[in-house]
Amino acid sequence: MRGHEAFADSVRKLDLLPVFGNPGTTELTSLKEIGDYVLTHFDGLSVGMADGISQYSFSPHLVNLHTILGLGNSMAYIYSAKMNHSPVIITAGQQDMRHMMMEPLLSGDLLGFIGNNVKFKYELHSASEISAVLRRAKVEAMTPPIGPVMISIPMNVMDEDSPYKSPEPVKMNYDISNKEAVSAVANLINESKNPAIVFGWEIDLFNAFEEAEKVSEKLGCAVFAEPLSQRSPFNSSHRMFGGNLMPGTTLINLKLLQNDLVVFIGGDVTVYPYLPSPLLEGKKVVFVGLNIDPKIGDFYIANVKLFLRELVDKVTRKCNFSRPADFQTATKIANERERMGITYVMSKVKKLFDDHVIVDEAISSSTTLRDILGYSPRKYFFSKSGQLGWGSPAAAGISMKEEKVLAIVGEGSFMYSLQILWTVKRYNLPVKFLILRNGGYSILKSYSISYSPGVERKDYLSFDLPTEKFAESFGIESMVAGKDLEELKWLKDGNSPRLLVVDVDRTIPKLFL
Amino acid sequence: MKFITVLPEFIPSSTIRDTVNQIMPEMEIVNSLDFEKSDADVLVATTFTKLDREQLKKFPNLKYLQIASTGYDNVDLAYAKEKGVIVCNVPIANKQSVAEHVIAFILIFLKDMIFLNSELKERKNWPLLTGSRDLEGKTVGILGMGMIGIQLAKRLIAFGPSLLYYDVRRLKPEEEEELGLNHVSFDELLSSSDIISIHMPLTPITRGLFNEETFSKMKDGAIFINTSRGEIVVESALINAVKKKAIKAGIDVYEKEPPDFNSELFKLDNVICSPHIAGVTAESQQRLLTETISNVLRYAQGIDPLYRVEL
Repeated sequence: MRGHEAFADSVRKLDLLPVFGNPGTTELTSLKEIGDYVLTHFDGLSVGMADGISQYSFSPHLVNLHTILGLGNSMAYIYSAKMNHSPVIITAGQQDMRHMMMEPLLSGDLLGFIGNNVKFKYELHSASEISAVLRRAKVEAMTPPIGPVMISIPMNVMDEDSPYKSPEPVKMNYDISNKEAVSAVANLINESKNPAIVFGWEIDLFNAFEEAEKVSEKLGCAVFAEPLSQRSPFNSSHRMFGGNLMPGTTLINLKLLQNDLVVFIGGDVTVYPYLPSPLLEGKKVVFVGLNIDPKIGDFYIANVKLFLRELVDKVTRKCNFSRPADFQTATKIANERERMGITYVMSKVKKLFDDHVIVDEAISSSTTLRDILGYSPRKYFFSKSGQLGWGSPAAAGISMKEEKVLAIVGEGSFMYSLQILWTVKRYNLPVKFLILRNGGYSILKSYSISYSPGVERKDYLSFDLPTEKFAESFGIESMVAGKDLEELKWLKDGNSPRLLVVDVDRTIPKLFL
Repeated sequence: MKFITVLPEFIPSSTIRDTVNQIMPEMEIVNSLDFEKSDADVLVATTFTKLDREQLKKFPNLKYLQIASTGYDNVDLAYAKEKGVIVCNVPIANKQSVAEHVIAFILIFLKDMIFLNSELKERKNWPLLTGSRDLEGKTVGILGMGMIGIQLAKRLIAFGPSLLYYDVRRLKPEEEEELGLNHVSFDELLSSSDIISIHMPLTPITRGLFNEETFSKMKDGAIFINTSRGEIVVESALINAVKKKAIKAGIDVYEKEPPDFNSELFKLDNVICSPHIAGVTAESQQRLLTETISNVLRYAQGIDPLYRVEL
């Protein structure tokens, strides 16, 4: 069997379709037998789409990049997939190995170039190893810590004729229980005066919401969300939810001031920017999970769902927390209505899009967005890398599996991945874009006020972008919302892609200490 | 059609007469009902004139009674209904004034004004610490969401507190959203509020609504304000709440008016009093006069008057 035939059959048998990509001449041979292909007009967008769909479906998808150049264009997205623990399988074409000595056009050190941004990388040597390498790539991507992998595909390998063995299906099993961990953490909790539980994204990955709620109810203590969680870490409407930890040592310490024990379950500490407070000094800190890489404290490897299921019977009641009713949001909504504040806008969004998957790339509004829209199973996605330009393609990718998807993106961020509108239109993906237009890079201005006063006034941090016209030029229906936000109903209606611009409050939010 | 206005004695009728003469010269103005009978079709009065059955019988031709006030509990409504008399009030003239009066009470307490004022003026002291607090973030419970309640909510929202309200008639969701209001049960309002302000009419249900049991459900140290009707509050229970639960009270209305000045209410530091005057400002009186006159003129021209009281 020829290499390209083996490649296509293996991709199909391993359930890696559709392929997302933006091919060049070095990839054409490998694509001869591939039919299910989604084109993006910028290489990185393919990775972003594959990241979204792979996370949402918990199933790896294949990306086809154009040799070292496409890889270069995609590096930010590959880094995001790594930080998001997204099982994306990246392939990139390589020049014909028979003349590599000549350093031909479009050749390069792909494996060296991608560096440590993937957990497994391999350059094919012969057609005979195609199915085995693809299968291994899938297994590697899905093995904790879950993350992207990369295969370099030389052109000549795709033309090679060699014996072919179809790959065996990959069956992953994450049922890793850890009785020692359960016992140790239960003892720590029972002996502590005031424990705090911090849940993270693995709760969503393994659908451990019910188990997390039961443990929190049994303990009676407030539970928190890890800083900048990329997925729903807890059902935020639950009475035991105490809110999000913020990404800064001082901010985390202030929130957990009264706690002597902090147990992170399925999540990690993310900090930014630098703050001199030593993190959780003098407290016992423990992490439990499969994918995380704790920097402090003790660490136990376990599937969080199984861990919580066993933990609940071993812990005793420690606190009497129940989140007080929230009456303050109504005040904020009323006060912000006139100036189109984010709390007001998000409260309107929540009323109509509560059943939608939210992809959040409204960086300066994300804290409010999380507070108002909340977390629930497979309903919230965010890039852990801090990348701008990830949200729109990720939402497009998710919309291939789920028709109710709302990407909430700042107008500055949206410019990074504008071309996704072509793909969305071409494949009629039902994703809805809500563009929060605040006239500049609000997150940078906020940071400047705290740490580089004066820079926030630089003219290059402010701009006026006619985003609705950009959308029209791609054939996407678009509108600009009025003060009452009635256009949100229009945005929600129908299964075709739509884009709505909301001109929001331009006041620079105070986001940093 | 004959018109008569009854003013309380403390309002100089000469001033009013000069104004009325230029607008409605046929209007008769008197300072008391100390007469046997009047053949007036239209009677204009304030809440200071008791219009019970006996007094109303003096007006056998009466068709329209205009009360120049928000309150009308001085009127025997049953008799008015029996005789087919239209009764109207002016519910819009003083609502802003009452709302501002409530906010004044709130801020006096939160900002520790009584203490600070006395430290400087009486004790000649320069205090470095006070118990002054912000309204932002506090929870204000408004009982009764009629015109005054709405005016209060509109003004409070700029301060940034959480707003709860209880009313048997709930506002529409969009109205609640615009005003930042959270509708809760009466009991939840009592237990959750840092500040409670009453804006309910006096009815058999609301009479004595604030009693020992009600006050016991409030937070210790909460601020309690009554600018509606004195009989809604059992005064002895209020005194106990101030003493035992450190409730701070801003009181504009009393069980009996004028009140018994020997009452313990007037001796408590945590109680600020005003003489049923929350709605009375120079501006509100002007609005009241304008609205009263325009309603009477409306009736005189055969147009239905506004603000009819449901009989």
